Amino acid sequence: MDQAKKILVVEDESHLAKGLKFNLEREGYEVVVAGDGKAALECMREHTFDLMILDLMLPRMGGIEVAKNIRKNDTRFPILMLSAKSTEEDRATGLEAGADDYLAKPFHLPELLLRVKGILRRWDWYKQPVLGQDIFHFGKMWINFATGKANGWSGEFLLTVKEAQVMKLLITKKGQVVTREDLLKTVWGYDREMETRTVDNFIARLRKHFEKKPQKPQYIVTVREKGYQFNADS
Amino acid sequence: MRKLKALFHPIFIFIGVQVAWIVLMAVWINWYLKNSRKIQEFAQKIRPDLFADELNWLILLEGCLLMLIILAGVYIIFVYWNKQARLNRLQSNFVSSVSHELKSPLASIQLYLETMKYQKVSKEESDEFVEMMLTDTERLASLINNILESSKYDPKNMQLQFQSVQLGTFLREVVEGLKRQFEERNCEVKLEITEDCELMLDTRAMQMVFNNLIGNALRYSPIGAPLTIRVRKGKKYCEIDFIDQGMGLGKKDLKKIFRKFYRVTNKKSQNIEGAGLGLFISKEIVRTHKGQMRVSSEGPGKGSVFTVQLPRDKNSKRQTAANRGEE
Repeated sequence: MDQAKKILVVEDESHLAKGLKFNLEREGYEVVVAGDGKAALECMREHTFDLMILDLMLPRMGGIEVAKNIRKNDTRFPILMLSAKSTEEDRATGLEAGADDYLAKPFHLPELLLRVKGILRRWDWYKQPVLGQDIFHFGKMWINFATGKANGWSGEFLLTVKEAQVMKLLITKKGQVVTREDLLKTVWGYDREMETRTVDNFIARLRKHFEKKPQKPQYIVTVREKGYQFNADS
Repeated sequence: MRKLKALFHPIFIFIGVQVAWIVLMAVWINWYLKNSRKIQEFAQKIRPDLFADELNWLILLEGCLLMLIILAGVYIIFVYWNKQARLNRLQSNFVSSVSHELKSPLASIQLYLETMKYQKVSKEESDEFVEMMLTDTERLASLINNILESSKYDPKNMQLQFQSVQLGTFLREVVEGLKRQFEERNCEVKLEITEDCELMLDTRAMQMVFNNLIGNALRYSPIGAPLTIRVRKGKKYCEIDFIDQGMGLGKKDLKKIFRKFYRVTNKKSQNIEGAGLGLFISKEIVRTHKGQMRVSSEGPGKGSVFTVQLPRDKNSKRQTAANRGEE
């Protein structure tokens, strides 16, 4: 039997933390609760977790700061942000700080559990090496999927988790067409709220990194009315 | 970029406009004085009948007055514009913090209701969940009360129903009602009442004041920090001190803490919930009781003391005196 996934719940509202712990444990996860930002970082240093559910408004150190702190050392660790702030701007701030997903309070229990499941599934998929190796070379460029580092046209840089996941899916299906829906489903895990335009924006960003002429792409090619295809010799 | 943004701050724009006007005025006066003779000569050629010597100074004065009126006008517009901008800022802060305050207990209630709907829970677990939901409902109710009290009507016109109350008994009841919150924050409450006093209070409104003060002390203190509530009986007044060992207050905050929507903004307090209404409403309520409210703190990190001063019930004093007379 698989070992239970370990989740760190960072929530200062004791009632909410208790309720989350109860439900996640019922789903078979191992749960640790931290009551503030600093305690969360201490927990992260002492233990290994598979996912963090992070509240935004926390005493001692806020959720955004916690996420940024984690991202300094680990660009891939999955974080689900939970917050009473629900505007598009708040959501964008959370995602920019390094959250993989953002859920506004009050939330529905089944949706939370689905998102947790989705993130963990994507995490498992993402952890597997690409075509049997962590580093993938194409042309003079490379992507290290284990660290999130990449070498593009203008030198080395760090890919965000989502960018790396898009590249991973395209590369594993090298030479085949990957539809926008496939990308949304595999990388974002759900298609509600999301538009296919989101995928196009990500592709545009990736082309800026990896294409000499983003208007005339050589590696990440658009297949009209279908999706995208990754072409490379290696 | 930030520096550039700061340059467009209303105060800088205002100073800029004023400086521009003053410079313009100085240039105009200077030009007028230098050229007054030429203007006079020119005007005399066209309409000699209109220009007498003494009129020149009148024109200069009129010009100055006009400029001063424009200056005053710009100043008034600026003051009102600034006031409006401040109100807009306060309102958006208020909406953001209140929505957060409302959503947190709501999220907890929804989570427990859905847990009971989707999971199998034992009788003990379900009882525990209901207890927690009740606490969250109390929190919601108290916040909604605060919002309604502050926006529905002017606190000065509150319709209060005064009744004679033994302060010690009343305080004990309030503390008992907040027992769960004290337990959750692991807070030990010390009630120091050397001599009880009788006051004329609206119990519902005064309970709100005490709840606000105790709630603040709990939220702005670390878990496990004690709270002391001390009652001091004076000749005319009775004073109640709420002494906490929390974050304390800086000089700037001490001055502004009772203002509507004001919230202490620093790194430690930025993630503490609140709408900036509790202390404003409390002070207004105490004022309608002909009392006073004040705060003192030795500084950030050194705790704070909120004092409510309420007048003693005159009838009770007369009654006591009468009783003594009878004896």
